[in-house]
Amino acid sequence: MISNLVLFQIPILLFLVGALSGLLSRNSRLARPMIFVPAMIGSIFTIIFSIDIITGASLKLAIPNILPFFNLEIFVDGVSAFFMLIIGIVSFAVSLYSIGYSKEYETKKRISVFGFLFNIFILSMILVVSSNNAFFFLIFWELMSLVSFFLVIYDHDKEENLKSGITYLVMTHFGTALIFVSFLLGYIQTGSFSFDSLRESSASFPLLVKNLVFAFAFIGFGVKAGIVPLHTWLPHAHPSAPSNVSALMSAVMIKMGIYGIVRTVFDFSGFGASPDFAWWGVLMIAVGSISAVSGVLYAVIEHDIKRALAYSSIENIGIILIGLGLSVVFAAYHLVSLSVLAFVASMYHTINHAVFKGLLFMGAGSVVYATHSRNIEDLGGIIKQMPWTSLLFLIGAVSIVGLPPFNGFVSEWLTLQAFLSSYQIPSTILQISIAFASLPFALTIGIASATFVRLFGITFLSRARSKHALNIKEVPRSMIIGMAVLAAACILLGILASLGISLISSAFHLPSQPSSPLDSITLQNNAKNAVHLSMPFVLILFSAIAVGAFGFIRTIGGKTSKTIYGTWDCGFGNLNEKMEYTATSLSQPIRAVFKVFFKPHNVTSKEFFVSTNQYLIKSIKFNSITKNIFEESLYQPIISSTLRVLDKIRKIQTGKINSYLLYIMITAVALLLFVRLSH
Amino acid sequence: MPSLAEIVIGIVQSLFIISFSPLMVGIMNKTKARTQKRIGSSVFQPYYDIIKLVRKDEVVSDQSSWIFRSSPWINFVAIGTAAFFIPIFLSYSPFGLVGDILLVIGLFALARFFTMLAGLDVSSSFGGFGSSREMMMSMLLEPALFLTIFVVSLTYGGSNISGIVTTSADSSLISHPQLIFAMIAMFVIILGETGRLPFGNSATHLELTMIHEATVLEYSGKSLALIEWSSAIKQLILLSLIINIFVPWGISSSVSVPLLTTGLLLFIVKVSLLAVSIAFLESRVARWRLFRLPDLIAMAIASSMIGVVFYYL
Repeated sequence: MISNLVLFQIPILLFLVGALSGLLSRNSRLARPMIFVPAMIGSIFTIIFSIDIITGASLKLAIPNILPFFNLEIFVDGVSAFFMLIIGIVSFAVSLYSIGYSKEYETKKRISVFGFLFNIFILSMILVVSSNNAFFFLIFWELMSLVSFFLVIYDHDKEENLKSGITYLVMTHFGTALIFVSFLLGYIQTGSFSFDSLRESSASFPLLVKNLVFAFAFIGFGVKAGIVPLHTWLPHAHPSAPSNVSALMSAVMIKMGIYGIVRTVFDFSGFGASPDFAWWGVLMIAVGSISAVSGVLYAVIEHDIKRALAYSSIENIGIILIGLGLSVVFAAYHLVSLSVLAFVASMYHTINHAVFKGLLFMGAGSVVYATHSRNIEDLGGIIKQMPWTSLLFLIGAVSIVGLPPFNGFVSEWLTLQAFLSSYQIPSTILQISIAFASLPFALTIGIASATFVRLFGITFLSRARSKHALNIKEVPRSMIIGMAVLAAACILLGILASLGISLISSAFHLPSQPSSPLDSITLQNNAKNAVHLSMPFVLILFSAIAVGAFGFIRTIGGKTSKTIYGTWDCGFGNLNEKMEYTATSLSQPIRAVFKVFFKPHNVTSKEFFVSTNQYLIKSIKFNSITKNIFEESLYQPIISSTLRVLDKIRKIQTGKINSYLLYIMITAVALLLFVRLSH
Repeated sequence: MPSLAEIVIGIVQSLFIISFSPLMVGIMNKTKARTQKRIGSSVFQPYYDIIKLVRKDEVVSDQSSWIFRSSPWINFVAIGTAAFFIPIFLSYSPFGLVGDILLVIGLFALARFFTMLAGLDVSSSFGGFGSSREMMMSMLLEPALFLTIFVVSLTYGGSNISGIVTTSADSSLISHPQLIFAMIAMFVIILGETGRLPFGNSATHLELTMIHEATVLEYSGKSLALIEWSSAIKQLILLSLIINIFVPWGISSSVSVPLLTTGLLLFIVKVSLLAVSIAFLESRVARWRLFRLPDLIAMAIASSMIGVVFYYL
């Protein structure tokens, strides 16, 4: 039996090997296997290690004084292992996918640099969840942010990508700064950077410090998770990165924000079962609802397939936060079983979002790989040329929308059950406000369905809308298998829901009995009516109905023939791709219904044959613009006022060396006076 | 574990919904015809239609893919499965151990998802605008339906349909004022979900009025039969839900032949009355403009919200 310390070291070594061999490969023909095969094996060992921790004991070690004052402390408990499992599953699929995907970078770009960054990126996330010391946590966190920044600007010959990279860099450091403040508050109280001392003494912090620790950590980690209104980097950075990196960022990296919030709330902040802490949960529910609704509303009108998926990540982070917030509110009122229910719902959605968003980003990457276009208005009819990609993307879409029997349904069902149990909170105000919060949640699910009908329907179905989508062929096999791994995870987590729930409850040591994967989920929140859900049985009903209907139709109807013929064109003939519904027209009713939010603005310009005759129109140009209210009314004022202040400051920077010497002298004198006077 | 008799009755209930649903469509069509001073077709006409369609050859668009061909089957399977969870004359269904009312909503959403995709798959504008309108309606109807369920499960404890119906059979609607608001909302939602006036007019195939019909315009033969039948089943499921949640009087609460017979007869009377009144209402109102429909759904949402506040205050 290998000890879990060795199991922990193997993946780290493998990712380092991958990174180095990537650098050494020098774009040779063997570069791709040299980079991605170690990453794949490393991911498998990460999965093995995390399952070992979840089912067994946790791993703890400390290397004292690796730097003066700072001990490198490693602590992998169930919580870390759960997130490590997510990292392992997704990065295994993504590494496999990348073998095929990075082929087009082979000739154009330096794949060796990419391979180095890719491996270090995965490694840094593993180290983030396993470090047990604020100092090293921040170092790994920063490493993760910087490496992902370099990956975002990997396609740096497009100026747009550089801009996205800068936005990302600024926002992520804003977040890191706040996390730092939160840790410093803990340091002031305990005098130690070790998470262990936070764990031990956080219960005795004053209430104000507890609240501040939570607030700073929530906003700081929230930036990484992509909560609204701190989400602006996300819809820019995710589409700019190569698709395999977007899959990793969206599926795994933003979950590190969730990891941070979970750790802080339940481990470091001295949270206790007292109504004093209910506002934490309310804040999370409020921010989660706003993120969910605004994320999905931007997703439903977006044309860029990868950006739409990025917005949908914001939505799903919102759903995760709603579950987490409900759990905190329940815990604050000491409703333990309900708190567990909401927490399981939230973590279930976390792992679900990792698998289906990884799958969808890889699917989008395959589409871009084949067509070289991210604009869905250019695509269409891909299902005939790329049947496997389409099927796998459809599985991802059905899962994310939350349709039975796929995994999204299970986690959304659990969250809805948590909502339905909110009447047990002994506070009328909270009861009513949580009931009202279920409206944005339900609305989000409804709009998400529209989003993915549109994304799948316009991209994959009907006719090709431009030459981009003509004469394309299916992507290489390694890419399909990479996607299929996550698609299988979507189906497994949907049908064997009890498996997922047992995984979560043993990872987080929740009070629940382990059960066989085929068991139904039973919730006994009310003395009278237990609620059940059993997906395997639903599948049996599915097949029974299908067989019954098929039998009925064949006995009554007999065998009939199918004729393939053109779509009905009202007798005019010549239906072509310009007569199809476009993505814009498809979402037009939604834009009209939510015009308060989108502020749509239409500009029509006509060109006439003769300017005197306004009846003979040569061409009409129609432009429909929607506004991003967050960027316009929140970020623009901040950016422009900052620039104004900086402009004022610039006046003292004359560029003359004499004036700089003067500044130095003034500073020196002022400091001397300060020292003298303060004694 | 449920007894064998209960399982048999559960299966009989769902088969009852599946087989009885076209008759409900027939009754509604007949009522509409009579209020318009027409004789109208026989109440059994929907059955004849299904049998006729099943025997016909199909024409499939050359632009379509397997999504188009499998969508009617997914529709029928999803909605047929939903029928298993609905109590009709026995107040609890043994299939309550498999799923609850949220699963029923999920199954409806699954069917609708593939209907919308099928509308886009044939690359005609009809299918496109059908999907587009369906998208708008479903995005608003789904939260409205969920909030109604919220009020109901607050009142009766949990989202298990059997539990809801059993509890509501023992109590009175008047003692729970919030349920009246939920019932108003549910009624509006049923009109929307089944595409009845003022939401849509299922009797015409005209660009201006089509919602659901536009997405399935390209279907013929066996596929069309499945689609027509599954929308009939969905309609009966929703009608049974409103009846058995809000007015379950007379529903049998145990397995005994006389009680079950009364339960069945009373259910048939109640559902026919509801269907006739919906059809009568349809003849009295005009179709609303598409962009006024969100107001109507918002009213349903507001009504459920008032229900929630009533419950807590």
